[in-house]
Amino acid sequence: MAEGTGRGEAFSIWFFVGIMTLAYGAVLLPYGAYEWFGGHERNTVLNNLHPTFWWGLLLFLFGGFYTIKYRPRPGDENKV
Amino acid sequence: MPPADWTSDPMHVPALSFLAATQLTRLNPVDLIILLLYFGVVLFIGFYVKGSTNTSEEFFLAGREMTAWIAGLSFVSANLGSLELMGWAGAAYQYGILATHWYWIGAIPAMLFLGIVMMPFYYISKTHSVPGYLQLRFGEGARGLSAASFAFMTILMSGVNMYSMALVMKVVLGWDINFSIWVGAATVAIYVMLGGLRSAIINEVLQFVLIWAGAALIPILGLIEAGGWTNLKAQIARNIGSNDYTHLWSTLGHFKDNQMGINWVGIVFGLGAIISFGYWTTDFLVVQRVLSAHNLRAAKMAPVLGAAFKMAVPLIVIVPGLLALGVLRDPHTGALIHLVGENQIDATHPYSYNEVLPLMLIRYCGPGLLGLGITALVAGFMSGMAGNVSAFSTVWTYDIYGAYINKRASDKHYVLMGRWSTVIGMVISILTAYLVMKAASIMDYVQALFSFFIAPLFGTVILGMLWKRATNWGGFLGLLAGTASSVGMFIYTSTGSDAHKMQALSRIALSPDAQPMAENMFRALWSWLICVSVTVIVSLMTKPRPESELNGLVYGATVIPDDGATHLWQKPIFWAAVVFVVFVTLQFIFF
Repeated sequence: MAEGTGRGEAFSIWFFVGIMTLAYGAVLLPYGAYEWFGGHERNTVLNNLHPTFWWGLLLFLFGGFYTIKYRPRPGDENKV
Repeated sequence: MPPADWTSDPMHVPALSFLAATQLTRLNPVDLIILLLYFGVVLFIGFYVKGSTNTSEEFFLAGREMTAWIAGLSFVSANLGSLELMGWAGAAYQYGILATHWYWIGAIPAMLFLGIVMMPFYYISKTHSVPGYLQLRFGEGARGLSAASFAFMTILMSGVNMYSMALVMKVVLGWDINFSIWVGAATVAIYVMLGGLRSAIINEVLQFVLIWAGAALIPILGLIEAGGWTNLKAQIARNIGSNDYTHLWSTLGHFKDNQMGINWVGIVFGLGAIISFGYWTTDFLVVQRVLSAHNLRAAKMAPVLGAAFKMAVPLIVIVPGLLALGVLRDPHTGALIHLVGENQIDATHPYSYNEVLPLMLIRYCGPGLLGLGITALVAGFMSGMAGNVSAFSTVWTYDIYGAYINKRASDKHYVLMGRWSTVIGMVISILTAYLVMKAASIMDYVQALFSFFIAPLFGTVILGMLWKRATNWGGFLGLLAGTASSVGMFIYTSTGSDAHKMQALSRIALSPDAQPMAENMFRALWSWLICVSVTVIVSLMTKPRPESELNGLVYGATVIPDDGATHLWQKPIFWAAVVFVVFVTLQFIFF
């Protein structure tokens, strides 16, 4: 069921959570890779740990999981 | 001493009246992509759910179809605004771990009490608002007083929130204040007008996730840099010259023993028993989220789940403040950076306590992550405004317009009024924001005004729910007396000469060593006691309502329906006990 979005709707709140974090992961992950492997790390504290890459990967996986789990499927629409 | 701009309302946060000479950082294209993605999604959600907000129940109460998880996250998120994050991170830097009390004893017991004891009455009475419950229990007088004060204060708070967002964006990113105000207001107005509470709730859930996504890296990387919690404590003790900043209770024996100037009586009875219960159980802004639950069990579980999440929030708010005490050093000289009060900023101390969170964000987060952090702040501000405006529109439409101006309009008309009051409320908020820009002290007064009603309202509601003998006159006059006494004490302690203020404070807080933070606690305590005393005395002198009229409103006159839980792990009381045990354990760990 599409939780929280009302009558006749197919997108769940959790789908929005997933798609948004997936999109952020999709932006941060390649940017983090560009910084890490291209030698473009900014001068922040602990940049040797490559936080942009790893955080991007985490968001990508989290978002991907939620997007797939709560993707709209036929018959999922809330009852009108 | 607390900074001059510390608010009088301890459930709200310091007014961010700082103005740095230069912006702290700037956004890169990748940050802008992240920010624009957020704006795109929230606007899409507004248009997406518009079709499901055609009736008043759908528009004002999200159709009462939210699960416990959604209502619980929204419940805790409605309070987790950016002012909250930035202000309490600054308070943690200033007062140390004592600031955690506002997240633990100042929230958890009250949230559990709301879920287990009070929610059944709010829910089965089918009220649409807290003033609506007061009308059912105490009649029109109590409803009118609480509705008018709530609507007025809420919309002003929205304006304060709006101005604060614009100011933070100016300080951190150098953005024009007018641009931030109008873009923020227009976005919130569009998505709340279209989707009502449903839209606000969806965005609050998103915001909760975003805040964690944007802010959790600070404590993670900070604790790695500090070498763990034990090493951080040692560094703070070395830098400050005292162990007091990392102890939750051991310094609360006397007002003089801690940097906050408060004692355990104020924290336990003022904050933990009165202010916290007043805010979390009667402030309609947060209670409205739980009223959207789809059944009684979800309504009881939502605050319990909210409490579990609330307990974790100090990790992203308090820890960054403590980390700054331990590791925030000038990257060029290696010297420890000292943050100061707003009125102490000068060339050698350019940053205030309130800037601690952006400073720590910039310390660890480069392009991309910085955009995520800024988006979390923007999301927090916007959902704060949306929360205020959606609660205002509900109370205005149901408890003022529908109760006193147009009682017999159609449901469609009330929905239209809800949409229009959202827009008008936002316009008033914008005017308030510009008013605050002209005179920043208004911000403190607006936040103080909010605090006048919280403690007495809790007295009225709790007696109404637990004491059958409380009468209409008792409820109304008790609320009036409690509110008036709170206003009186505020005037007494905040006007006149400094010597007079000190004396007034020592009388209200019962100690010459008390600091302004203690005044908030004790003022709440006194106004609650006055409210309860007047309610009891007047009730005993006036005719009680027949018990048959109190069904569904008061303990002892109501058969509470079964919530449908069949297994132990389905019972809200079980999870409330689990959360409470964790809460008590944390007190001992950080004692």
